[in-house]
Amino acid sequence: MSRAVRWIVPVVALAVAALFPLAAGPYPLAVARSVLTYMALAMSWDLLLRSGQISFGIAGFFGIGAYTAALSALHLGLPPVLSIVAAGVVAAALAAVLGLVILRLRTVYFAITTLALAEIFRVIMQNGGDASGGPEGLVMPSLIFNGEAKALYWTSLAAVLLSGTVSALFQRSRARLALTAIRNNELSARSSGIHIFTWLMIAFVSSSFLQGIVGGIQLQEYGFASPDSVFDSYYTLLPLAMALLGGTYSTPGPVVGALLLGVAAEYLKLKIPYGHLVVYGIIIVLVILLMPRGLYGVYRGQVKAWAGRPGVDRG
Amino acid sequence: MADLEVTGLGRRFGGLVALQNVSFSLSRGEILGIIGPNGAGKTTFINLVTGVYAPTSGCIRFKDRDITRMPAHQRARAGISRTFQIIHPLESLNVLENVMLGFLFCRRMRQAEARRAAEVLCRSLGLEGLGRDVAQITMLELKKMEIAHALATHPSILFLDEVMAGLNVDETRDLVALVRGIARERGIGVGVVEHVMSVIRDLTHRVIVLEAGEIIASGPYESVARDPRVIAAYLGKETAGGGA
Repeated sequence: MSRAVRWIVPVVALAVAALFPLAAGPYPLAVARSVLTYMALAMSWDLLLRSGQISFGIAGFFGIGAYTAALSALHLGLPPVLSIVAAGVVAAALAAVLGLVILRLRTVYFAITTLALAEIFRVIMQNGGDASGGPEGLVMPSLIFNGEAKALYWTSLAAVLLSGTVSALFQRSRARLALTAIRNNELSARSSGIHIFTWLMIAFVSSSFLQGIVGGIQLQEYGFASPDSVFDSYYTLLPLAMALLGGTYSTPGPVVGALLLGVAAEYLKLKIPYGHLVVYGIIIVLVILLMPRGLYGVYRGQVKAWAGRPGVDRG
Repeated sequence: MADLEVTGLGRRFGGLVALQNVSFSLSRGEILGIIGPNGAGKTTFINLVTGVYAPTSGCIRFKDRDITRMPAHQRARAGISRTFQIIHPLESLNVLENVMLGFLFCRRMRQAEARRAAEVLCRSLGLEGLGRDVAQITMLELKKMEIAHALATHPSILFLDEVMAGLNVDETRDLVALVRGIARERGIGVGVVEHVMSVIRDLTHRVIVLEAGEIIASGPYESVARDPRVIAAYLGKETAGGGA
């Protein structure tokens, strides 16, 4: 049964998500697209978290992706799809170079450094003059699919599918064991022959690649990239809160969290335009205190407890 | 020619000399006891040989290769393995997954293959219930898992850092037999750090005694245990008269 559920649930969810634009009006579609953006970011963040490294730099690589897509389209004349790929590649390459230094850091030192990096990226773009468009940023002359909302939604859904696939591959392969071992105890991991730096690099580069891709797609929605818009800390905090709420170290967790918090965020924005950030803060604190494994973690715990009951057939 | 040859090994931490001029060798199938009072440098010694830190002096040769500067994960792959005095089970993995690691990352097996190999290894050590979380298993099972975790890397040299600590008499006897079997049947050179003297006496072919970071005696247990320096330094006044 559990094997069937493992396939049926994602396939049905994906089908519903893919058909959603055919039924939804413009406003629900826009909300859903932003939920997908955060969902992909939440999954990318969880990827690195599995190694125990907490990144506050999501907005940094997301923003680099948006700028790369804009610059490569404006200066190299890349078509939108290729500029999105370039966004991922540049974000990944940047992560690889920076990773050589910052992946030697751990815990709060790593977290603070990633936060600072995102800010450094923003300041560089702000002061880049004509090359980066300065504080006004860059404006795109044309957009993917001419900015058609449904097509844009499907593009974002593709990013979610890509993130989900990478996340699931990490969970099913030896990467899960390597990253979990590193998170639990580096000394023990090394004594099992795990090269910690290599695995951290794989996770960091993959995670940044996905964030860059999502940034590249985001550019296509608004048609411009400015330092204050694409490096907004919102792009770090909301995905992080979603992953925590839904359940970390898993693929379904960030998806569930993004759906719930993404829809709630939109609703709260309408109800309390200036106070909604406070509400997320409260949600994050409550989740960490009451449900440290998140909703999916609680669900997994229930399933395990049920399967462990005497007399239950585990086939 | 011994498999592991250590000459003049030393390590300082700032002004503190944790270990100096330690030389010894260990061959496959041999069981070497490493004893000494608390703080003598036994765990530092294992940390140096397994690559947790680099030595500040001396040389480590393994199978005719200089490995003094080799990183820890490569030494594990080359065949030097260990258990930890303070056990570090990976609490987010179950028992089987803990044991699979060495098969996956040292022997480069595929997951299904590593799973089967880990099951066989655990069973050969009398470890069952492999789907359990590590928080649910007994101390003896934890020790066995720790040994299986080390054996999975396919070592030729294995250091056991106080694996008998915290076990009762029956469990200790069980584990002594297990370690003896590991050395004989798998042809592994085993270095045993232990405070329980009866274990050292029953198990080892040879003993080195560390005090304040230096080797003060070496040889078979019987001769080392009679050495006046050892008695003074290690066994202490209470046990000096009656034997340990």
